[in-house]
Amino acid sequence: MTRSFDRVLIANRGEIAVRVIRTLRELGITSIAVYSDADAGAKHVREADEAVRIGPAPALESYLSVDNVIAAAMRCGAQAVHPGYGFLSENAEFAEACAAAGVTFIGPPVRAIEMMGDKIAAKNTVAAAGVPVVPGRHDEDMSDAAIVEAVSEIGCPVILKPSAGGGGKGMRVIREEAELSGALASVRREALAAFGDDRLLVERFVERPRHIEIQVLADQHGDVIHLGERECSLQRRHQKVIEEAPSPFLTPEGRERMGAAAVAAARSCGYVGAGTVEFIVSGADADDFYFLEMNTRLQVEHPVTELVTGVDLVAQQLLIAGGARLPLTQQDVTMQGHAIEARVYAEDPAAGFLPSAGRLALVHDPSGEGIRVDSGVATGDVVGTDYDPMLAKIITYGGDRQEALHRLEAALRRTAYLGVRTNLDYLTGLLTRDEVTTGRLHTHLLDDHPQWAEYSELGDHFIAAAAGVLLLARGQALVETGRGEAGRDPWTRSDGWRLNGRGWTTWQFQAPQRTIVAEVSGPPRAASLVIDGASPELISVAERGARISVSMAGITREFQYAMSDARIWLACDGHTVALRDMDILAAEAAGADAGAAGPVRSPMPGSVIEVCVAPGDEVAEGDALVTVEAMKMEHALVAPVAARVEAVHVRAGDTVALDQELVLLTDQQSGAQ
Amino acid sequence: MLSSRLDPESAAALANRAHHAELAHELSQRLAAVRLGGSPRAREKHKARGKLLPRERVEQLIDPGSPFLELSQLAATGMYDDDAPAAGIITGIGRVSGQLCMIIANDATVKGGTYYPMTVKKHLRAQEIARENRLPCIALVDSGGAFLPMQDEVFPDRDHFGRIFYNQAQLSALNVPQVAAVMGSCTAGGAYVPAMSDEAVIVRNQGTIFLGGPPLVRAATGEIVTAEELGGGEVHSRVSGVTDHLAENDAHALEILRRIAATFPPPAPTPWQRRESRPPAVSETELYSVIPSDNRTPYDVREVIARIVDASEFTEFKAEYGQSLVTGFAWIHGHPVGIVANNGILFSESAQKGAHFIELCDQRRIPLLFLQNISGFMVGRDYEAGGIAKHGAKMVTAVACARVPKLTVVVGGSFGAGNYSMCGRSYSPRFMWLWPNARISVMGGEQAASVLATVRRENLEAKGETWSQEDEETFRAPIRAQYEEHGNPYYATARLWDDGVIDPLDTRTVIGLALGACANAPLPEVSRGVFRM
Repeated sequence: MTRSFDRVLIANRGEIAVRVIRTLRELGITSIAVYSDADAGAKHVREADEAVRIGPAPALESYLSVDNVIAAAMRCGAQAVHPGYGFLSENAEFAEACAAAGVTFIGPPVRAIEMMGDKIAAKNTVAAAGVPVVPGRHDEDMSDAAIVEAVSEIGCPVILKPSAGGGGKGMRVIREEAELSGALASVRREALAAFGDDRLLVERFVERPRHIEIQVLADQHGDVIHLGERECSLQRRHQKVIEEAPSPFLTPEGRERMGAAAVAAARSCGYVGAGTVEFIVSGADADDFYFLEMNTRLQVEHPVTELVTGVDLVAQQLLIAGGARLPLTQQDVTMQGHAIEARVYAEDPAAGFLPSAGRLALVHDPSGEGIRVDSGVATGDVVGTDYDPMLAKIITYGGDRQEALHRLEAALRRTAYLGVRTNLDYLTGLLTRDEVTTGRLHTHLLDDHPQWAEYSELGDHFIAAAAGVLLLARGQALVETGRGEAGRDPWTRSDGWRLNGRGWTTWQFQAPQRTIVAEVSGPPRAASLVIDGASPELISVAERGARISVSMAGITREFQYAMSDARIWLACDGHTVALRDMDILAAEAAGADAGAAGPVRSPMPGSVIEVCVAPGDEVAEGDALVTVEAMKMEHALVAPVAARVEAVHVRAGDTVALDQELVLLTDQQSGAQ
Repeated sequence: MLSSRLDPESAAALANRAHHAELAHELSQRLAAVRLGGSPRAREKHKARGKLLPRERVEQLIDPGSPFLELSQLAATGMYDDDAPAAGIITGIGRVSGQLCMIIANDATVKGGTYYPMTVKKHLRAQEIARENRLPCIALVDSGGAFLPMQDEVFPDRDHFGRIFYNQAQLSALNVPQVAAVMGSCTAGGAYVPAMSDEAVIVRNQGTIFLGGPPLVRAATGEIVTAEELGGGEVHSRVSGVTDHLAENDAHALEILRRIAATFPPPAPTPWQRRESRPPAVSETELYSVIPSDNRTPYDVREVIARIVDASEFTEFKAEYGQSLVTGFAWIHGHPVGIVANNGILFSESAQKGAHFIELCDQRRIPLLFLQNISGFMVGRDYEAGGIAKHGAKMVTAVACARVPKLTVVVGGSFGAGNYSMCGRSYSPRFMWLWPNARISVMGGEQAASVLATVRRENLEAKGETWSQEDEETFRAPIRAQYEEHGNPYYATARLWDDGVIDPLDTRTVIGLALGACANAPLPEVSRGVFRM
C-alpha cells in the first residue's frame, strides 16, 4: 500500500478520533488531534502525535467551527483531514473549505454530501436509479377518493398519518383495502380532534421494521463495491444500541440484492469514499426493503464490518482520498464469522436514559480472544455534558452469531466504567433477551420494553462489598499514615476491639431506590454484617490487586471498585452499583443551604422602615421583603427561597420585637409553608 | 529473651486451661447480660422515641473500627437488687476524631439514667482517669439526676454527685476539654453537666435541660409548661444559650461532637520513647495453661511476662537477689515498662529490691506495671527482727511517690500489706484490673478463719471452757464463706475497687491501650518521701 499522506488531522474527539489515530499510526502517518478546552488531556489528545487547541468547550465554537478546524489544519501543516462521524463529517461547507485551503477532505465530494443530505432530493435521486423507496403519496389535501386510489396503487398494508401530526398520534394501519372506507372517517375525526386539521398522508406500512444498512466503498475512478450489511435494529428512539454483521435476517440473495441497490445508490450521487446506505426492511419479508438515507461518512458501527470482512475502513478511506484505486473487487469481499458491537453510553437507563457526567474513577476494558474495544476514555478522565455521551464500543467476533453473542455478554460482564452511570447493565441484560438471542429484532423492540431499563434488585453481595471496601479503606488509611494494623499502637486498630466483646460500625448507604443500614463488626477477613437488622452474615473481604473479593454465604465474588464523590462504585458480573456513604453533616449542610418558605422573623428589636411586598406577591430568592431599622442599622430581610407572600403582619413605622413574625411565605408549587 | 517451660499437653496445663476458659466464659456471660442495659421494655421504649441506645451512641461517636477501652463494666453487679446493670452508666476511653477521649454515657434504660451511689463513683472514677491522663471528656447525657430513694448516699458527701461538676470545672481549668451532648433529660443537678461544659450540643425535641422539671415548676409556682417549652433544644440553643449546637437527632449530635473533638488541642508529646510494637515470641494464647487453677500453687510469673511483653524480651534486674519478687525492663506495644511481679511472698530483700527498681523506673521515666499475686510479707520473729516492716515501708513509699504511671493487674491473690507494696487501689495506679481468678482481701479466708478461731479458742480456754473440733469448724466455715464472697473479683469490681475484670488473654492489649492513654499526660518532677533505712 502506498502512503498517501504524511500528516493527517482528525477533526473529531472521543473513541472515533482514537480509532482513526490507530490506523494512522499503523500506516506511519503523523496524527494530529484537535481539542476543545473541555478535552485538554483527553484520551484522543494523549494518543495523537500532535494536538491543536481549537476553542472553548461548546462544540459550536470548537469541533463544529469550520474556521477553527481549518485554521488548525493549516497551522500544523496537515495534508488531509479525517472528519470521523458527527460534527463536521457531513458538512458540505466544511468539505468546500478544506478544498479551498488545499487540504484533502477524507470523505465524499461536496455534491454527494449535499445530495444525500437533503432527504427528499436523496430519495428522488436513488429512486431514479431504481433503488426502492417506501411507496406512498404525500400530496396536499387528498380527498377520500384520492386516498383510496393511492392505497390501491401502493398496496396494503398501508399506514394513514395525519399531515399535521407526529409522534404516532392518530395513525392507523390498514391491512386490507376493505377496511379503508370504514377507517377513513374515524382517522380524520381523530386528526381533527388532535391537531385541528383532518388532512391525511398515506404510505406503505412496514411490518416489524428492521434497520439493515450496507457499507459501500467507492474510489475516484468509478469503482464501487459493497462490504455487506450491518443490522442495527436494536435502537432506542432512533439511537442505535447494538449492531451486528451479518444480519441474522438476510439470505445471501437478499444481501446481493441490497448490496446492488446500495452500490446503485452510491453511483447515483457520484459517491467517493466510505459510505453507508441505510434501508428499512420488513420483518415479514426480507425482500421488502426500502432506501432510508445515505450516511456520507464512516459509521459508529463500522467495526463489525471490519471484523467480518477483515478490511480496515479507515485505511481504505485514506487510500481513496489519496486518489488510489480500490485494491478490492466485489469478489474479494467475503463476510466470515459474526461480529457484534455494544455502545457504552454515560447515561442512566433507569432514569429515562438521562445523560450522566462525572469523573471516571475506574475504567476497566475487557480483553481476550475475539474482543475489540474502541474507547475514548480511560481511568481519571472526566465525562462532561458538552458532547455525545458515548464512551466506548465493545465489539466481539465469533465463528457464528452465538459465539459472538456469548463473547460479548462475557466481555460486558467484565467491563467496568465506574464513576458515572452507564448503560452497561442494560446492555448485558439485552444480550440475554430471547428476542435478541434468537435474532427476532425490530426497531421498536427497545421502545416497546421500557421495563428492561429498570433497576434490578440490589443483591446483598453488593452491600457486603461496599462494607468491605470501607473496611479495607480503614485499614489502608492506617497504613498510609504509617500506623499499620500489625504490631503498632493498639489504638490504631480498626477491627472494633472491645474489652470482652466487639464493636461495630454502622454505615448508611443510599442506593437508587432505598436506604440501607449496614452494621459491620470485625476485621475484613472475618467480619459480621447485618443488613437492615436482618440476622448477621459472615463475610470475608480481601484485596486482589485492583479488585476486591468478597465471600458471603459460601460464594466468593470479585468486584471492580472505586470510591468517588462519597460513592462506592462496584461492578460485578454485569451489574454496576453506586452506593452513597451518607454523611450526616453534609446532608445537614445541604439542607441548610436550600432554605425554606415559612415565617420570616425580625432578627432584632427595632422599627419597620419599609415593607416591600404585599400578600399574594410572588418573590424570587433574595428579593427584599421588609426593612427593619435598629441601632441605626438597616436590615433588609430577603426571601430565603422563591415563594409566595401569604401574609404581611407589619406596616412601616411599626415597632417589632426580636423574633416577631413579619411576613409569612408559602411554597410556590405545593402551597405548603 | 524469655522462653517457656510449658508443656501445653501436660495434664496440669490442660486442667489449667479448662479452668481459666471456664472463668473467662463466666466473665463473658456476665458481661453479655450487662451489655444489654435495662429491661427489654425499657429498651424498646427508648428506641421507640427514636433514640439510640447508649452503646450505639458510643459506637457512632468513636472513630469507626477504633478500640474502646471500657471501664468498670460490671459496676453494681449484685447490688441494688441487680437493678442497675453497669451502674446505669457507660464509661471508657475511645478515639474521637483521632483524639483519645473519656466518654461518659448515661443509660436511660436503667432507672431513667438516675445516679445510684455506684453510678456516682463510676462517673467520678472516669473523671479521675481523665484528669490523670489528660483525656478530654465527652458526656452523652440522658439522666434524671440523683436516684432519690438513696439520696443520702448520693448527694451530701465530698465524693458524691456535686463532685462531678467540681471536677468539670477543675478539668476545664487544667485545659482538659469538657463537652456534653444532651440526648435526653438533664434534670436538676444533671443540668450542670452541659452547663459546666466548654461546649454543649442538644437534640431537638429530645434533650431537655432544667433545674426544675414541669411537675416541680407547677408545684412551686403554678405555671403549666411542657418539658420542651421549659428546657428543650430550641429554648436552649436560641434563647438561653445553655447549649451551643442544635442537633436533629442522636446521629447528628454525635457527628457534631466528632466535629468538636477535631478542634481539641493535640496532646502533649509522649513522656517516654516509643518504638515499634512486636508480638510476644511465646504464644499469648497459652496464658490459660500456665496459670495454676489454684492460686496457692506456686508458678514462675515469668511465664506470664513472656506472654505479654514485646518479643518476649525481658531485661531482668537483680535476678539473683530477693528472688520472690521479679523485676525488670520490657516493652509492651512499644511503650517501655518496668515490671514488678510476685514470685512468692515478700521478704526484706525482695521489698528492698522492689523499692530500688521502682526508683530506677521513676528516674528513667519508665511506666510501672505491677503483676500482683501476693499472699503478704513474711511473718515471724526473725523477719520482724530483721526489720521487714521498715523494708516493706521502703517499697510502699517508693510505690506511693513514683510519678510515672502505675498500672496494676491482679493476676492471683492480693492479700494484706502485699496489696500496698504492689500498688493496690489505695496507691492510685492509673489503671487497675483483675483477672477472673483474682482474690482480694486483707488476708486469705483460711488464714482469717484461723486467726479468729485462735483468738476465740484463747478466750474460751481462758474462761476454762472447751471448744470441740466440730464447733470450731462451724465457727470457721462462715468466715471462710464471707471472705470468699467478699474477696471475689466480681464483688470487688461491683464496688469499683478496680477498673474492671479482664480476660487474661486481653491483658497485653489492655495494657497497651492504657499506656497509650497514660502517654497523654506530661510527667511531674521526681519527688520522694523519707525512706526509713
